Amino acid sequence: MNNKVVEVKNLVKNYGAKDFQTKALKGIELTIYQNDFIAIMGPSGSGKTTLLNILSTIDKPSLGAVILDNMDITRISNRELSKLRRDKIGFIFQDYNLLDTMTLQDNIALPLSLSGVSPKACIKRTQELSGMFGLTEHLKKYPYQLSGGQKQRGAACRALITNPEIIFADEPTGALDSKSGRELLECLKKINEEGRATILMVTHDPFCASYAKDVYILSDGMIKCRVSKGGERKEFYDRIMDVQTSMGGDFLCE
Amino acid sequence: MRMTKLALLNFKNSFGNYLSLVVSMAFTILIFFHFQNIVYSDSLAVLGDKNKNYTDIVVHVTSFVLVCFMFFFIWYATNVFLTKRKKEIGTYVFMGLSNQKIGKLYAIETALIGASALVFGILSGMLTAGLFQMILLALSDIAVEIDFHFGLRPVLITTGMYLTVYLVFVLKGYVNIVRSSVLSMLSGAKQNEYVKQKTRVLFLKAIAGTGVLGTGFYLAVRESDDGFNVFGNLFLAVVLVVIGVYLLFGGLIPFIFQGLAGNKRFLYGKGRCLWINSVVFRLKKNYRTYAMVCILTLCSVTALATGFSMKQRYDNIRIFESVYTFQVLSHQRGLDEKIRGIIEEDTKIAYSSEIPIIALRGDTVVANENYGTYALAAYSDLKKLAGDVGLAFTLKEPQSGQVVRASHLSLFTLITDRSHISVTIGGKAYQQIEETNIPYMGYLQDKISFYVVKDEEFEELASIGEKVYTYNYRIEDLSAFGAVKESLRELMADSGDAFIGTVSMDPSKDTMEWIKISYSLCIFMFMVFILASGSIMFMKLYNDSFEEQERYLVLRKMGMSDKVLQKSIANELGVAYALPFVVMGISSYFSVHALELMMQADLRIINVVSVLAVLAIFLLCYFLSVSVYRKNVGVWEDRRLNCYHK
Repeated sequence: MNNKVVEVKNLVKNYGAKDFQTKALKGIELTIYQNDFIAIMGPSGSGKTTLLNILSTIDKPSLGAVILDNMDITRISNRELSKLRRDKIGFIFQDYNLLDTMTLQDNIALPLSLSGVSPKACIKRTQELSGMFGLTEHLKKYPYQLSGGQKQRGAACRALITNPEIIFADEPTGALDSKSGRELLECLKKINEEGRATILMVTHDPFCASYAKDVYILSDGMIKCRVSKGGERKEFYDRIMDVQTSMGGDFLCE
Repeated sequence: MRMTKLALLNFKNSFGNYLSLVVSMAFTILIFFHFQNIVYSDSLAVLGDKNKNYTDIVVHVTSFVLVCFMFFFIWYATNVFLTKRKKEIGTYVFMGLSNQKIGKLYAIETALIGASALVFGILSGMLTAGLFQMILLALSDIAVEIDFHFGLRPVLITTGMYLTVYLVFVLKGYVNIVRSSVLSMLSGAKQNEYVKQKTRVLFLKAIAGTGVLGTGFYLAVRESDDGFNVFGNLFLAVVLVVIGVYLLFGGLIPFIFQGLAGNKRFLYGKGRCLWINSVVFRLKKNYRTYAMVCILTLCSVTALATGFSMKQRYDNIRIFESVYTFQVLSHQRGLDEKIRGIIEEDTKIAYSSEIPIIALRGDTVVANENYGTYALAAYSDLKKLAGDVGLAFTLKEPQSGQVVRASHLSLFTLITDRSHISVTIGGKAYQQIEETNIPYMGYLQDKISFYVVKDEEFEELASIGEKVYTYNYRIEDLSAFGAVKESLRELMADSGDAFIGTVSMDPSKDTMEWIKISYSLCIFMFMVFILASGSIMFMKLYNDSFEEQERYLVLRKMGMSDKVLQKSIANELGVAYALPFVVMGISSYFSVHALELMMQADLRIINVVSVLAVLAIFLLCYFLSVSVYRKNVGVWEDRRLNCYHK
């Protein structure tokens, strides 16, 4: 059995005042093991964004615990949280979030450089990752000179550069055309299969989810079911679609 | 909703955001009002008409400089406002508003901001006018009872001047909006695309800037014996330094920082990646502001040095005039006892001296500086006089064909190179080996150009001029001046042709008080420029912080700790303040040195003190900027990122 990376225990999140509370998460239980590639799917308002925000330390739950690196991240200090975010977690955002004031190379190297790693190691790691994501010839370019796909692959490199325990990806293909989206997902799949990254991805796109190893379907603040990859990706995609269809219209209309 | 109502609502809602702009503009109004108040108040009338006229000229010149300053300041403030509002008001396009209507909305809002600055400025000006005059006169060492009354004229002039300048820029903004495309309005604040500048262009600018600035510095400190040349050089030096500083911030400095950003081994060390890239980006956008601030601070340092050198010079001139109270001129020698007897009837004599001089006719002397009146004194006679009066005497003894010049002090001198000066006296050329400003001959030295020659030569030259004996006295009790003057007048009248005339220095006479005011005004200009530079930098960085909010949100989402980000902000803003300061510090050495040559004063300490004062203000603004910047970009509070999803 692989090592546990993240353990989510009875996660509850309520919004609003006492009398008018909205329950966004209703007792989520989830364990992510090393080298997992999990996709969280669900209709609008199902709580997937809330779950990602709590897992990635951006928000706090009302109840429950999230254990990451043997620490309950819902109870640690802000200083420790920053350190955790910097060293143990990598983020890929829907809108890339590359800094437009620096080159792609500097964007990728930034987290490592700010962690106090030697410049030599920063350069080496940047070149290694950019090679893996097919970005070597674009390193000197600024974000405005790159296509959406190149930007998102750059963002993935940036997320990976610190060798995080887990990568949280929030709709990573949401702003990309299908070709660029596929290229990115292939890259993520590749690094996951090579044992370089554990990934948790939030998406509403079954095609995107089919690149994961396990898909959790979230609905009304609860995990309704888990679909695991068996054979081919195509077959996996069909099964996800079937589950989605069986769950009803509100899922499909997103 | 009507346009005016909407504008009023916008103004009310965003007043807090624009408070810094309002305060800065109100500050310029306040300063301008104070100066106008001085011109139109009677507080300086006590100095006498002559002084009042001179002071008015100085205050008018200062006011002109302030109008220029106000012009640039309003230009800058309205520009900041326009960029900030453009994107926001651009959304009104979707509400179906025409560019004209949006322009009108902007104009009304800006006018409201301008009006509040005006009210704030004038009111605070009225409240502090008395204080300002009190400080000014106290600094000038002028005892006057301050009249706290002020008239309507300064208020009207200040309002008129400010509104004229302000309306020009409101109109400019209106035209700008009317002519803008929808796209440019919507992306108003998002024109950050081209971060890097072309290295070749930067290199050329760097070379040109260094060359121009170097030439400017050289011209500023080059000594010359031709007054016209010096003036021309100085003018050219000022122009070149301004252009040079501009090119330095637009060329050499970005060139260096782009080089640093390109050197990844350097860039990735010690968390430099973030702030050096930010500096490169900001330099492209802000280099004009940095150059302007640098020039403003340079002006402030030079203004202070000018003030102090004028004060120094004024004090020296006063000493010059007060060496002797009476100087009696006669063709006869040995009249000392007679004159002394007359003076001692009224008061004791503090010290006295007697020296024969040869008054030369103007056409017998050919000198570089044309004084009109020249006289000769013998070296040993002057040495004896210095001993009698108690003045230092270290002059070298001139040999045959050599002279030492005993000259007077003037406020400015444009002749900065005093070596190799020669003078022709009675057809013979003499080399000037030294020049002294020690007032051996008192007031006479101020009016007549004295040449000290070898004793033998003095006798030989007696034939080309007229030998005059001067009897010089300093009385102990200055209140007896009038009585002594009257006694001496009677003596002259009774003695026929024995006396040529008497020079009386009235100790209560003060025709140069205006210099003291100029001195104080220089100090005020120093403070105005220094505060203006500080506030411009503060405003610029305050404005930048809003543009950076998104970038810092990304960084925080990536898990960058507040500590790392705070350090990066401190470094970035530190560079922003340090660059104009360092360039100013270096340039001030040259500008103050040029002043030293003109004023013949040692201003090194003033230079250091004023640079340190700029440093103090900049440090204050720096800490303030860092704290406001951190707050605006959100790395201030110790909190979670709830703003994650848009």
